[in-house]
Amino acid sequence: MDHKDSIGVFFFDLMGTVNDPINYSELAKYTLGFQQVLQAWHYSDFPWNEETIRKKIETNDLSKIIVAGALPGTVKTLFSKAMSMAGKNPSSVILVSFNEYGIWSDKEIERAKALLICAIRDIPYEIAAMPGDAPVNPATMIIGGGISGIQAALEIANGNTLVYLIEKTGTIGGKMATFDKTFPTLDCAACILTPKMVEVNQHPNIRLMSYCEVREVTGDAGNFTVKLLQKARKVNVTTCIGCGTCAEKCPATAPSEFDSGTTMRKAIYMPFPQAVPNKYLIDAESCIYLKTGKCRACVKACPVPDCINLDEPDKEVLIKVGNIIVATGYKTFDAARMEQYGYGKYPNVLAALEFERLLNASGPTGGNIHYRTQDKKGNWIFSTEAEKPEKLAIIHCVGSRDKNYNKYCSRVCCMYSLKFAHLILDKLPEAEVFEYFIDMRSFGKGYEEFYERIKEEGVSIIRGKTAKVEAKNGKLLIRGEDILRSELIENIVDMVILSTGLEPGEDTKKISEMLGIPTSDGGWLEEANYNTDPTGTFRGGIMLAGTCQGPKDIPDSVAQGSAAAARVIQNILRGRVTKDISGLTLEEIENHINEISPIQV
Amino acid sequence: MSIRVNPDLRNELIQFGIGDWNACYHCGTCTAICPLSEEGFLFPRKKIRLMQMGLQGPLESSVEPWLCYYCGDCTKTCPRDANPGELMMSLRRYLTSTYDWTGLSKKFYTSKIWELAWILFFAALVIISFLVILPSFGYKFTTELTAEGGVKLNSFAPIPIIEAFDWIMAIIVATLLISNILRMYYKIIWKNSTTKVSLWVHIREFWLLIFNFAVQPKFSKCDDKRYWGAHWFLMSGYTIMFIVIVVFLPWFQTEKILPVWDPQRWLGYYATFGLLFGLVIAIFGRLKKKDIKFRFSHVSDWLFLVMLTLTVITGIFIHIFRINGMPMATYVSYITHMAVLVPMILIEVPFSKWSHLAYRPFAVYFTQLKKNAVLK
Ligand code: SF4
Ligand code: SF4
Ligand code: SF4
Ligand code: SF4
Repeated sequence: MDHKDSIGVFFFDLMGTVNDPINYSELAKYTLGFQQVLQAWHYSDFPWNEETIRKKIETNDLSKIIVAGALPGTVKTLFSKAMSMAGKNPSSVILVSFNEYGIWSDKEIERAKALLICAIRDIPYEIAAMPGDAPVNPATMIIGGGISGIQAALEIANGNTLVYLIEKTGTIGGKMATFDKTFPTLDCAACILTPKMVEVNQHPNIRLMSYCEVREVTGDAGNFTVKLLQKARKVNVTTCIGCGTCAEKCPATAPSEFDSGTTMRKAIYMPFPQAVPNKYLIDAESCIYLKTGKCRACVKACPVPDCINLDEPDKEVLIKVGNIIVATGYKTFDAARMEQYGYGKYPNVLAALEFERLLNASGPTGGNIHYRTQDKKGNWIFSTEAEKPEKLAIIHCVGSRDKNYNKYCSRVCCMYSLKFAHLILDKLPEAEVFEYFIDMRSFGKGYEEFYERIKEEGVSIIRGKTAKVEAKNGKLLIRGEDILRSELIENIVDMVILSTGLEPGEDTKKISEMLGIPTSDGGWLEEANYNTDPTGTFRGGIMLAGTCQGPKDIPDSVAQGSAAAARVIQNILRGRVTKDISGLTLEEIENHINEISPIQV
Repeated sequence: MSIRVNPDLRNELIQFGIGDWNACYHCGTCTAICPLSEEGFLFPRKKIRLMQMGLQGPLESSVEPWLCYYCGDCTKTCPRDANPGELMMSLRRYLTSTYDWTGLSKKFYTSKIWELAWILFFAALVIISFLVILPSFGYKFTTELTAEGGVKLNSFAPIPIIEAFDWIMAIIVATLLISNILRMYYKIIWKNSTTKVSLWVHIREFWLLIFNFAVQPKFSKCDDKRYWGAHWFLMSGYTIMFIVIVVFLPWFQTEKILPVWDPQRWLGYYATFGLLFGLVIAIFGRLKKKDIKFRFSHVSDWLFLVMLTLTVITGIFIHIFRINGMPMATYVSYITHMAVLVPMILIEVPFSKWSHLAYRPFAVYFTQLKKNAVLK
């Protein structure tokens, strides 16, 4: 350390935090506590320009300047110029960027102080605040059994350590299990996913806990205690033979989650034929017995004695793990929020996941595209008896890239829309397909080629998002502008498919609070570093995988699942895990700095 | 024909209130949602494009901004908060300034100081005329009352002089407006080398102009009919007042206290009510900012409202004080009334927000001409 430094500190607050503003006078007081610091100014103290700053440098004979605050980089040149005008070294301008270290309000003032002392004492924050290690419990918990969670679970379990895979619903497989084909390869999604699901189920190192929720996580990196709520399936997972006799007799129905509500299931049900575990369970909310105390039809029908226990209670389970991977995924945007598209009002305006089921051979129409029609009771259903649509329109960016809803791009919808167009023509070669888009985001390997291919297949791809969908003579009228030709579009079609975007899953907020991982813009869980550590979090021993971190397609989700697993295996092999980043208190950091470079007087 | 790009155009337009010129990403939602946009006359997106690209020529020869009645639907649904409705409003301000050959309009729109200074200047002229010039010609304040107990307004503000003055003002304003409308015609129709409109079409479509002025059917196409009503009252009240003051002043500015059922009083009351009703809705709207059309207010919008309100209120005062025989109060009201009215007519009508009363109906007329145009 150069004890002859004479430092001036300048606080810069371009973003102007509205709630709970950072207390700059306290920061100034803190810096003035160091003998090297001669003066501290806030940018509201005097107008900043080269001239005024040069004067401050000259009158105080400053040899080093610290510019601290939000986006200090924007004023760096000003200070470098002022320094050289004053005949000082222009590179002695040190920036302390609050936003880079997640300091947005007065709550983080301790971290701001830590950054300032590091700048004053010329020690990188990363070194001064380097967290220590802790021994690691080799067991791992993965929250969420979608494709990322499954991938991570298999990677770790194949490395011969124990994995608890916690899945909220009755089956693993997540959203991918509901898809028909993947883009751009047009592989059958079930064909590539099901073997992995089965492997998870049979793996000696994986404890699959389906219908189970994480309630509380205590402890720290390497040694977490997790309280789980094992919800009662009310059907014994070991003895149920999956015959379905119970469901045949069950009088209660509810919309099938797996089919996005396009079909009905019973209160006792298997989520879908390839579900893992491949066993029945009872949905307490729709079961008549659990509501009124009368029924038990399933119990009477079940051929296995004592397999169904309608009075089975939910249980709390405690597990101890060293690492946690969060893979809670996404939900799709609720298209009914955009009234102009008439979703929920017009039965043949479909959301993406509904249409995905319509295309799927295991879906309501066995993979044939039919209108939604009314059955005898007046309910809107999909049935193979209905007519087939001849003109279909796909509207992109529904709920995405829209400041009224979500301003981000959901990344997958352009591609799945193209996939839809292809599959429609595959199944209805005579159909006319229109895609209304703003920009075509075909960024991945083979994606642009896929786009070209779909164009050649004869799909009308029109630049211009649709403004509204209205009913017209039993059909749907679309109004939009063809941007490239500057023409108003009024197109009458039979079916409209809304390319609904991705949103953080319902439980993301809860998980974020429970684990102490902040959410970033849009509500996605925040990674430790966007570029260099997209899998880690600020919490040691907690990793992210898949769409809980941000919109992603399947290849990226799988890749991140593997990456998170690699981090876990690294910790296990090393036997130690790094504690939370920025977990040190200000005092610990100060002491650490004094150890590294003792003050010379 | 090549088109010149003016990279500074958007900076110029910022002064007219366009806001964030770069926000629009051309999704076309606004055009499709707009109840008034139609094939051949697509807006607002196309106009935003011209503005972003700096295509000044095509922008200046656009008629579309005048076809927008600012219902705000586009702004509500725009995914980028680009505020297309306000953009169209700003383009109208800009177009007003390009039609005006004196260059004053631009000055008024882009500099508050200029506009205020001119308004104050004319107001001062009016006050000086009444306090110094007219009295020196023998037109004095008199506290004497008429036989009926009313104020002798005409001996203080002699009808022939006021009437002559009215006509002069009307001629100035009309000359300015007509010459500007001719320029508008030149830009929108004449200069357009690809289409040709026959004289017969010009004549045939002329009735539309009158119809449009009277009814504003376009405005009523917007989903929210309330503003069409409010605007219609305001406009009809204004037109009636304008006609009686300029053409029938001797009948209107009378010392007689007419019976309540007299048509002169009825007309006056209707016009006052129409003006007040429209004004109250507009002022509350702008203050509450709930509806998109009122969310963003340019200085010119407020000036217009404040001046018109002042004129109406002082007009009401004149009437009340006069029939109740309160000479001094009447005179003060009268001078204030004129001091607001004169600059309003001389500045707002030809150069600022009020010019839309001429440009809008003509824009509809020109649109109709364009629709009937044949390719050359
Ligand atoms: S007890 Fe419940 S699950 Fe069983 S058959 Fe009756 S309603 Fe269905
Ligand atoms: S991926 Fe395509 S459809 Fe989806 S939000 Fe992005 S641009 Fe819109
Ligand atoms: S102004 Fe808004 S709605 Fe209109 S094209 Fe631009 S982004 Fe779309
Ligand atoms: S404000 Fe209304 S009339 Fe004007 S462009 Fe927007 S939608 Fe059309």
